Amino acid sequence: MKKLFKILLLALAPTLALGQNRFPKPDFESGYQYPDFNYSVPDERLWSIIDIVLLAVMMGIVAYAVLKQRKRIPVFVVSIISILYFGFFRNGCVCSIGSIQNVTFSFVDTSYVIPLTVFLMFILPIFFTFLFGRVFCAGVCPFGALQELVNVKNFRLSKAVSAVLSIIPWIYLVFAILYAVTRSQFIICRFDPFIGIFRLGGDFGMIAFGGLLLVASVFTGRPFCRFLCPYGALLSLFARFSIKQIVITPSCINCDLCLHACPVDAIRPPYENKVKENRTAGVKRLLAYLVLLPVATLTGALLLHSASDSLSSANKDVRLYEQVMQNEENPQNVQPVDVEVFFSQEGRIDELTSRVASIRGTFRTYSTIAGALIGLVIGFSLINLSLKRSRKTYEIDRTACVACGRCFSYCPQNQQTTDKK
Amino acid sequence: MNNPISRKQFLQICGTVATGTAIVSVSGFSVRRMMRDEADHFWQIDPSKCTFCGRCETDCVLSVSAVKCIHANKVCGYCDLCGGYYRANVKDLNTAAENLMCPTGAIVRKYIEDPYFEYTIDENLCNGCGKCAKGCNSFGNGSLYLQVKQELCKNCNECKISKVCPAGAIQRVPANKAYMLKDA
Repeated sequence: MKKLFKILLLALAPTLALGQNRFPKPDFESGYQYPDFNYSVPDERLWSIIDIVLLAVMMGIVAYAVLKQRKRIPVFVVSIISILYFGFFRNGCVCSIGSIQNVTFSFVDTSYVIPLTVFLMFILPIFFTFLFGRVFCAGVCPFGALQELVNVKNFRLSKAVSAVLSIIPWIYLVFAILYAVTRSQFIICRFDPFIGIFRLGGDFGMIAFGGLLLVASVFTGRPFCRFLCPYGALLSLFARFSIKQIVITPSCINCDLCLHACPVDAIRPPYENKVKENRTAGVKRLLAYLVLLPVATLTGALLLHSASDSLSSANKDVRLYEQVMQNEENPQNVQPVDVEVFFSQEGRIDELTSRVASIRGTFRTYSTIAGALIGLVIGFSLINLSLKRSRKTYEIDRTACVACGRCFSYCPQNQQTTDKK
Repeated sequence: MNNPISRKQFLQICGTVATGTAIVSVSGFSVRRMMRDEADHFWQIDPSKCTFCGRCETDCVLSVSAVKCIHANKVCGYCDLCGGYYRANVKDLNTAAENLMCPTGAIVRKYIEDPYFEYTIDENLCNGCGKCAKGCNSFGNGSLYLQVKQELCKNCNECKISKVCPAGAIQRVPANKAYMLKDA
């Protein structure tokens, strides 16, 4: 009996393996030859080398222009090249902003191996920022370049508004990493406002949003970079500790012109002319904020911990699970395609349940951390606002400065300094 | 060290060292992984998982999807009554549009010899809806199937279709295995 079963299995094996060979291969008598299809694969190697070389060279040019020459024109030229090449020609994928997620993803998912070009897209701008400040943002990033080139008038937002809005990039960064770590989604790519413009087509909502941002950036400097870009937030961290950075012209005459030329509010005026605050009041406020820091961290952690289940619905498996559960409750309803496919592929509900439970578990852990980080960012930005500075001259806030070089031509002393060199 | 400037400088140096170390360690870790394995560059559909749900047609970021039907001639049975060419239960077997499966008329049928017919896909017309592939897989050998065409694919950082594919058939593949073909 066993033998018979084995023979039967052996006989069936080929059909089982091929699955659907319902009709035998035809024997052609007319000498018919199978057509030969060659599916061409675009050779990306050359282009990716050009990408990386151009990225590095353009960042080098910007660094040289703003640190040594103190001129804006090279930055302007780089911006145009970047929009044309990285934007419209290469269509913006993979960009440095999105590569945060690839790097995070490659750390948690052992089956995903990050391509070298993507990793270089991620690390090169960080490295250059570490050396020279945010030279990538200046014009090498096509998004920044696009906003920079349309910027005509520079209406300033009040300090309070921009301080609050500047927290958004950090929250965005934390959420992007959260969703990449849990292998759910690449939200930076999903909600990319400019890719539709560069590709001349795409999701209508996102293109409309990108258009709005562009209109806004005509009147105020770089709204996306300042109030949305998660990579900018990351770079500002490295720019804070950069080895070199742009400085105010040494022979500054306190004329205040550069302050009004800066599109990103990166130039800080001296404190001299201001009425000094009572010292004890300042200390008290700082102490209060220092106490608030752990409270904010804890609150953030608790808030996102409690919201982790609803956050987890961004995961495909969790969504499927919810649909399957709905279907189990109302079996008379028409099955959605996802549920139908799930059952047709012999998916088992208990397996799915345990998988979703583990996904939700990781979501709980990571969203707690994410909440704590967001609380920490809010706490730190409060502390940063209330720190007492003793500035006697104009200074450049290196975290905010995007090295666009607009201030150079406004500085009456800059020309002399560069001429002397 | 009581001088506030030197304290600031000290903190600055500490920060520089810390961020520098972070850059080096992240690079080191990633480069070691990249040396060991082959990197994933492209998106492909695993034909054995695909269920022809039709979302490839509607969810690609391109207005006409980069997913096209591919025909594996070596798997095909060259049937006269083709499940991918004709709709099920049609009255007459002729090339009238109401009888054909393909909504854009992208399948070209050519007589070879009795009783065999060759089917070819006109990729300029194909919209990747997968109706023919569904028919072929239900009634025939499954030689018609959907695949991401690399010369059309924008190679998005995260394929938008992969997020809605009910079968989880869309996956990343290394550059040297850029096509998952049925007859390869």
